[in-house]
Order: sequence, then structure tokens, then C-alpha cells
Amino acid sequence: MRGKQLFLHLLLKASWVRKDRALTALISVAVVASMATAGLTVYYDLENKLSREFRSFGANVVITARTGAFNDAEISTIKSAIAGKGAVVPVAYAIANGPGNTRVVIGGANLAALRNLNSWWSVQPADSTGTALVGTRAAALYSAKGAGFEIGFGSKKIQIRPKAVFTSGSDDDSRIYLDSSDFTALTATASNTALVRVDGSPREIQDAVTHLTSALPGAEVKPVREITHAQTAIVGKTRSVVLTASLIVVVMIMLCMVATFTGSVLERRKDFAVMKALGASDGTVKVLFAAESCLLALAGAAAGYVVGCGIAFWIGKANFDAAILPDPLLLLPVLLGSILLALIASTAPLRLLKRIQPAGILRGE
Amino acid sequence: MFFRLLFESFRRQKRRKSVALLAIVLGMTVATAMLAVANDVGDKVNEDLRRNGGNILLTPMDDTLDVDIGGVNLKPLSESRFIAESDLPKIKGIFWGHNIKGFVPYLSDLQQLRVKNRVIDAELIGTYFAQTFRYGKEQFTTGARSVNGWWKVDGEWPQDYASWPQGSAPEVLAGRTLARQAGLAVGDEIELHGKTLRISGILNTGGAEDNAIVAPLHIVQQILGKPGEVQKVVVSALTKPEDAFGRRDPDRMTPADRDRWYCSPYANSISFQISEALPNVHAEQIRQVEQTQGKVLSRISGMMLLLTVAALFAAALAVSAAMAATILERRSEVGLMKSLGASNSTVASLFLTEAGCLAIVGGLAGFFFGAVLAHRIGLTVFGSPIDVQPVVLALIILAALIITFAGSAGAVRKAMRFDPAVVLRGEA
Repeated sequence: MRGKQLFLHLLLKASWVRKDRALTALISVAVVASMATAGLTVYYDLENKLSREFRSFGANVVITARTGAFNDAEISTIKSAIAGKGAVVPVAYAIANGPGNTRVVIGGANLAALRNLNSWWSVQPADSTGTALVGTRAAALYSAKGAGFEIGFGSKKIQIRPKAVFTSGSDDDSRIYLDSSDFTALTATASNTALVRVDGSPREIQDAVTHLTSALPGAEVKPVREITHAQTAIVGKTRSVVLTASLIVVVMIMLCMVATFTGSVLERRKDFAVMKALGASDGTVKVLFAAESCLLALAGAAAGYVVGCGIAFWIGKANFDAAILPDPLLLLPVLLGSILLALIASTAPLRLLKRIQPAGILRGE
Repeated sequence: MFFRLLFESFRRQKRRKSVALLAIVLGMTVATAMLAVANDVGDKVNEDLRRNGGNILLTPMDDTLDVDIGGVNLKPLSESRFIAESDLPKIKGIFWGHNIKGFVPYLSDLQQLRVKNRVIDAELIGTYFAQTFRYGKEQFTTGARSVNGWWKVDGEWPQDYASWPQGSAPEVLAGRTLARQAGLAVGDEIELHGKTLRISGILNTGGAEDNAIVAPLHIVQQILGKPGEVQKVVVSALTKPEDAFGRRDPDRMTPADRDRWYCSPYANSISFQISEALPNVHAEQIRQVEQTQGKVLSRISGMMLLLTVAALFAAALAVSAAMAATILERRSEVGLMKSLGASNSTVASLFLTEAGCLAIVGGLAGFFFGAVLAHRIGLTVFGSPIDVQPVVLALIILAALIITFAGSAGAVRKAMRFDPAVVLRGEA
């Protein structure tokens, strides 16, 4: 048998004859690779997934006209800046006179859009043919049984029939929202405020704010700091927890794998001694052991990558109702990392063995 | 004989044993740390959120409506109802008082300010910055500084004066936009109803406060002539995300359900307890914060839980593989024992006892290192330690035993299947 053939023969036979030993090594590499893949895949997609959740927080940017109302050009500037990545609801406010000489804040907006934006409102439907969304405190005062009432602005008056009563736990509870057309007919004013929901990561929201500020010189663009601040805090903290935890898990299991690998190489000191006694050089033995580990590591890491992608996918499906897709860019680092580790783990103990005479090992000393 | 074999096995095979032990310790460290982090991450993020704004709004029982546009209160003070400031410490006395992380009262009115011989209209807002209370034996500090995490001050935060200071002008904050428009800077003085206030910092909130003067509550109460009164209070409470049970109406529950509802930290039940403690106060969850954050929090906890399951599985596999590897190498030992007449059960019990000893020692050490790690993760990510529940120790030891047994059992069975003669000749 020629040298190359013998080498290949030894390489494959070693794994084949001791299948269980090869299998434990393979499993330990696969476990490390799958945890590394799963942790990093989740980590990279987390900002995306969590930011999606923040859509339900409603408007995170409020734009107000400095003087007067928005013109159509300004509204379409805002809409095109958001361009499908969020929602824009123009609103107008005025103070009207309610029944019994009371004052009430009324708002004019597209009611369906407003209700969609404020998804956290708890809404009690009243009369489906009604014309207004009435805050719970306003409803308690004016329309305890869902009856209609009249409000006035200047000399004009309008009959309000509640379509639904909502609870928000904010100033909105004292307000009445009318459809824009009714509002303009009553007050002759147009929207001067736009509630904007920008979807995306904290950085993307900040970019949108910067863009809107320069595109709308006649308006004041303000992020709702309470919301954006909370989003930044949550996303940042969660990402660092996932990263730290995954790193720790990977490092620990990696050490575990190295221990298993090193142990099994040390157990093979007899193989080592026989080879040496038969005239193999230190280099040849080292290459043989290294090649064997590389082969195992490659197979283990490939299996681990697939399993890891599966775990990440499952976490996305089970928890975020949206799959976390595999990141092909991770494949190479995972493969190379596993091979490198296996190399270190299998060749380091050989150095220890080199110091011992083969005869000593074979005699069982 | 059995114990001697056991003892000698540990004494003579130190390297092999230390590999197995190391694997168990590492695996159990991962398990402990991940369990602790997953268990605590929801609470930690929640606590972080509670430094970023309140989630329950207290308003006086009122038969008139708020008149409020763009965050500016336009209702004349004469028409307003109030909450007594002296009642506020009672918020800490409710059943879930421990979950109340802070509260911030507000009293505000539109006022005319005299700035450098000019008169401008601006809202005057009174609040706590870092007011200290005593409730029972507990000392408690609360205010905008701890609850409104997004308020940034350029300069110094004012102090919370108990009464009007003698000899010097009280310090207040000027909103960023107001300061820019009126040319106000730190150290300038403004005049209000003939009283002088000194600006100690410029406040940047991104909200209505940017156009206002924000001053210590007791100073504003004196200026507005409303001693001991506030208009609204924002409470920051640690709550449990609302589920179907939390949404139910307590008035329509059976007594047992009602007790369970009352003793769960839902925003609704905390609001209910606050309105019990403070008569004439209406407490309502701020739905935008409470409803949406709860959802995000449960997503985060869920994700950490799933990651933990994956990590536990990985740790178990890694430990099992390490155990199997060390035992597989000991076939000749099994062969020798069997050829000297040991029964399969004796051999198995020897190996399993060894594994059990390793599992207990490894589990203990792993729990200890895991607790240290969780503590460190908490400190680095959240600035407060994550503690491990002692009950986890029992779980970890149990898990270590199961995993090492599972890893050893297969390998021992396999080693016993071979004919001792074949194993001893080295042909297996």
C-alpha cells in the first residue's frame, strides 16, 4: 500500500472501527455548532422582530404645523416619506361647547385610520351608523346611555351620535373624535397635527425624523420620546442579553467539547505509540490525528448548522409568529470555527504524548 | 470491595474523571445561568421600562372634562378638581405597594411670565424631581428623575423645596423650546406674580414640557394658591401582562376568582387597589403603555425561554457525550471485571455510582458558577444583579444525575455486550 492510500485507509478506518467514539465527538461538535448558529441567528433578527411588535404602540412621531394648518403638499410629503413603512393620520383639534355650557376638546380625523393607529384603545361599539368616536369620560358626561347630543362651535351646531366609546387612559378619554369632513364643516379648520407611526428599528425612526424635519420647514417634527426611548431600551437590553447568554452557552459547551476531544485523543496513546514504533514520524501522526478531527468537525458543524437554523426558525415561529430565516453568512464562520477548535483540541494533547517514549506507553506505563 | 473499587477508580483515573467532571460542571453552569436569566429577563426589562414612564394615571373624580390639546392643560384652575398631596404616600400602602416603583404628581396652569422685561405666556408645571417620603418604616424617593427616564436636563436638577426658600430664589427648569424662544439660559431669573425664580437647567423632553417652566411642586402650589393639591399623578407600577382573566370585571367574579384577581399584579387590580386607598381618585391604566409593553415583554420572556430550552438540550447532549466518551474508553476494565466474575449488575452499579458522585459534585459546582455568571450578566446588561432561586439547586442536581446516567447507561451497556475475552485481547 502506498503512503497516500495508507493514510486514507487509516483515516477512514479509525472512525469506522470505533463508530461510537466518532459519534460522540461528532455530537459534541454538532451541539456547539447548532447553539452558535441558533444564538447568532436569533440575535441578528431580534431587532427586526421586536421592532415589529412596536407597531402596536401607535404614533411614535408627532408633526405639528407651526402656523395654521397643513396644506396638501405637506401631507403628501409626510405620506411619501413614510411610504408603506408605517401610518399617517392627520388630526385637527378645537375646543367646542358641549351640552350644559361645558367645554370639550373635539378632534377631526379619519376615524377608521385613527382607531387602527391606536390599537390599544378598548372600544365599546355603540351605534354602527353613528358619526363619532367618544372618549369614555366624555361619554359618561354627555351620553350615559349612548344617546345622541349636540355640540356647538361659534354659531354652528352639530348632532353627535356615538359610533363607539373608547377608553385610552389618557387625555383622549375627555375628547370626541369626528370625521374630518364633519369637523371641517363645523369649525372651518383643517388638520394641523399629523400622528405618524414609523415602523422600524430605533435608528430607522431617527432617520425618518431627520428626513421629515428637513423636508417640512414649516412644521415641528417630534419623536414621542416616551415610546422611542422605551423601544431603544428594550431592543438594546434584549439583544445584549441574548448575545451574552448565547456566548456563554457556546463557550461552555465548546469547553465541554474540547475536553471530550482531548480526552479521546489521550485515550488513543496506544495507537500513537504503535504508529511511532512502526516508524511514523511525529509530523505524520499529527497530520493523521488532525485530519481525522477535521473530518469529524466538518460533518458535525454542517449538521449543527442545519439544526441551529431549525432551532432559530422554531423560536421565530413559536414566539414571534414569524419565522427567523437562516443567515447563510453564518455558515462559513461556524464551519471554520468548529474545524479550528477541533484541530486545537486534538493536536494539543499530542504534544504531551511526544515527550513520552512509545515503548513506555506500549508497556502500559 | 465495591467502595474500594469506587475509591480507587477516582484516585487512579484522575484525568479521565476530571474530563467528565469538567463537562458536567460546564453543562450545569450553562443550565443554571440560562434558567436564572430566562426567569428574570422579563422582570428586568419591565423594571427598565418603569424608569421610562408611568403606566397608571390618577385623576380626581370629576364631572367636568379635561381640556387639553398637545399636552397643554387649557382648563382654568378654578374649574379643576384636585387630589390631596398628603394622600399620595398611601399609594405605597396598597397590597402591591412593593411593585410601585414611583409616582409623579403634576399641577399646571397657563401663566404669564416676565422674562427680561418681556411678558410671555407659558405653562407652569409643578412636579416632584426626587422627593423623599417615609411610609411606615420604608424610605422612598420618587419623582420625574426616576420615573421619566427620557427627561434630560442641561444644567442642574432643582431640589424639591418643602417651602419657599428664605433669602434666595427657588430653582426651576426651563423647557428647551421656551428657553430658545425667550433667550433664557442657566442662571437667568424670571418673574411670576411678583415672585422671582432662578433657572438651574434647560429641560429637554420632546413633549409639551419643552414649552413650559417646570418647577418644584410646592413652589408651584404657592404661586397658584393651591397648597397641598395636585391635578394628576402618573404612577409607575411593575405589572403582569394582562391576560383574559386580568381583563374581567371584578364586580362579576366569584369571591375566589376575585381574590385571585386582587392578588395578581395586573394593571387593573393595582388601579383598583389605588382607588380603594385614595377615595375620590380615579385610577386608570395608560393603555398605550400597558397593553403594548405587556405584549413585548411576553415575547421577550417567551424567546428567552425557548433559547433556554435549546441551551439545556445542548448542555445535556454535550455532557452525555462526554460521559459516554470516558466510559467507552474503559471497555477493557469492564472486560476484566467480568472475566473475574463480576455480574453485569455489579459492573453497572459501579459505573453508575461513579457517575452519580460526579453528577452531584459537578451539579454543585455548576450551580455555584452559574449563579455567579447570572449575577454578572445582570450587572453588565441591566445594572442590577440576577439572583438564582435556591430551588434551582435541587433541579440542577436532579438534572445532572439524569443526564450523566443517560450518558453513561448506553455506554456501559454497550461495553458489557462484548465478550470479555475479545475486549481483553483488544479486538473489539
